[in-house]
Amino acid sequence: MTNKRFGIFLLLLAFFSLGAQAQLVTSMKINEVLVINEDNFVDDYGMRHPWIELFNNSAGTVDLGGCYLTNEKDNPTKYMIPKGDVLTKIPPYQHTLFWADNQKDRGTFHLNFTLDPNKDNYIALYDADGKTLVDEIVIPAGQKPDVSYGLDMDGTGKWGILPKVTPSTNNVTLDTNEKIENFQENDSWGVGMTITAMAVVFIGLIVLYLVFKQIGKAAIHASQRNAKKAAAATGQTISANAGQESGEIFAAISMALYEISDDNHDIENTVLTIRKVKRSYSPWSSKIYGLRQTPVKK
Amino acid sequence: MLGSILLQAGVAHESFTQFLAQNIEVFLSYTGFANATSGHFIMLLVGLAFIFLAIKYEFEPMLLIPIGFGILIGNIPFKDAGLQLGIYEEGSVLNILYQGVKQGWYPPLIFLGIGAMTDFSALISNPKLLLIGAAAQFGIFGAYIIALQMGFDPSQAGAIGIIGGADGPTAIFLSSKLAPNLMGAIAVSAYSYMALVPIIQPPFMRLLTTKKERLIRMKPPRVVSQTEKIMFPIVGLLLTAFLVPSGLPLLGMLFFGNLCKESGVTRRLAETARGPLIDTITMLLGITVGASTQATQFLTVNSIKIFGLGALSFVIATCAGVLFVKFFNLFLKEGNKINPLIGNAGVSAVPDSARISQIVGLEYDPTNYLLMHAMGPNVAGVIGSAVAAGILLGFLG
Repeated sequence: MTNKRFGIFLLLLAFFSLGAQAQLVTSMKINEVLVINEDNFVDDYGMRHPWIELFNNSAGTVDLGGCYLTNEKDNPTKYMIPKGDVLTKIPPYQHTLFWADNQKDRGTFHLNFTLDPNKDNYIALYDADGKTLVDEIVIPAGQKPDVSYGLDMDGTGKWGILPKVTPSTNNVTLDTNEKIENFQENDSWGVGMTITAMAVVFIGLIVLYLVFKQIGKAAIHASQRNAKKAAAATGQTISANAGQESGEIFAAISMALYEISDDNHDIENTVLTIRKVKRSYSPWSSKIYGLRQTPVKK
Repeated sequence: MLGSILLQAGVAHESFTQFLAQNIEVFLSYTGFANATSGHFIMLLVGLAFIFLAIKYEFEPMLLIPIGFGILIGNIPFKDAGLQLGIYEEGSVLNILYQGVKQGWYPPLIFLGIGAMTDFSALISNPKLLLIGAAAQFGIFGAYIIALQMGFDPSQAGAIGIIGGADGPTAIFLSSKLAPNLMGAIAVSAYSYMALVPIIQPPFMRLLTTKKERLIRMKPPRVVSQTEKIMFPIVGLLLTAFLVPSGLPLLGMLFFGNLCKESGVTRRLAETARGPLIDTITMLLGITVGASTQATQFLTVNSIKIFGLGALSFVIATCAGVLFVKFFNLFLKEGNKINPLIGNAGVSAVPDSARISQIVGLEYDPTNYLLMHAMGPNVAGVIGSAVAAGILLGFLG
């Protein structure tokens, strides 16, 4: 029985572990692609090539090592991103760039394929098993030189021509804090926030109140039923408020029981009493000396 | 010959004396005396006042002693020579300990301990007391409105307003997210007013109630079964966190600690959470919050404003709680009425504000014990302030 339970526990653990792993890798998104790089970003070798930007759209670091990038639908394992490279660990909400230069011997981030400006380019990212599709996109033919195609919001949004090329940085940067400005503009007195927030606080606690009111009723009902059962067994009658006794009654009963059991002993634990014994003592009046009675002279 | 030796010795002696003098001068330039400013002395006096209040009047000694001593540590003047001494210097011991405040992971751990030591029985037996905990959150938003009018931006106003929740960990958690630059002043203000609850609340409780209301006797709470006690943290988490997911770190830990306590099978975990763990975190939190009040960072006009707003928020919260009970009583039958003196306990400050209800209640009827009843809104206040913090974080974060 214990082994069975342990087995179920392990299965659950494995299931959730696998889920967690999958969730992390699937949060990677193809974010921006530049097909014709004439006068744009250069790689470590000072060369200009098409590039593919990936974005980690999660709050955890994702290791791309072992995953696959491809430009062929029927060959998902075309380029394996090497394992063991510290640079394949992508921090939360950060980007990485792969060069589509067909020169894989130049390092981890140089792919073994390139992008063709004259036709549609299929790009896909596969998980380390080579079967699970993480993200895919078809870049339409006819891309303009030095104009990138990407998501209008990093990791989410719609694909389209981007107003500016942003390799390894956000496709959209915010110049203002929209939320705060909205509050400043529309709720300068803070009354709107107060009404909304207090309403939510009250709703939350009212729901809790209603739920526990019902749970309390059910608990009282259950204890009354138990009291009736017990009364039926002993042939006694029960009071109308059985099951709703206050804690004070139980405290008084407990105190009485404690006193009864405690009255038998007059021991005060942890209290050390030093009592001064007032007894005139002297070796001269000690019993040992009293053994020999002084002869009484009459 | 002898003359030249003596001359050389004299020159050597002179240069050695000069060397010694230079050394002493350098040493003196590193001492606190050479680097002290009037700001340092003001803050040292504040620290000493905290320690005095804690020892002499026993105002929240568990908080004021660490914070007060932290203020002393943080305001020992020193020369900024890259020795990694100050709390704001990366890599210093104090800076490392301060990360728990800055990153906001001390407060949830404190909430874990609070959950493991809190008995929600009073609340479960009389769940309508939850609403008092909600009403007292007006203190937060009253202070928010006033802070906006004083020129703080919405994020800062939200962080300042949370002082009205009377919950130190929540105040630290929220201010570390919304206004990290004001966190020191907000934390010290929140803890100071929590300690001063016995002074702030009673006058307003007396002012807003009649003698008849103060004498209201409430029905003793019924005994709550263990099943209900186990269900409370689970249902409480699911309901509140689904409504306000941004309050999850605080609510999650609070209810988890309480489940450890009530489940009956994780006694060791509960004892660790409410004992050694919360004690350790309280010490680290108190000492680092205190040390973060370096005069150069802390003594600003904004800090003074925050202290004023903090006091106001406590007053608003107290009044809102008491007035809400009076309003609520209009709808309750005779015999079910609530003594408005427990309204003040809707601010968190567990268990001090509940103790104030008891003390003020006993002044008018020496046999009317309100403590158990006041614990209901008191723990509801903890939940309410965590929910309110979640809402502010959601809107302004």
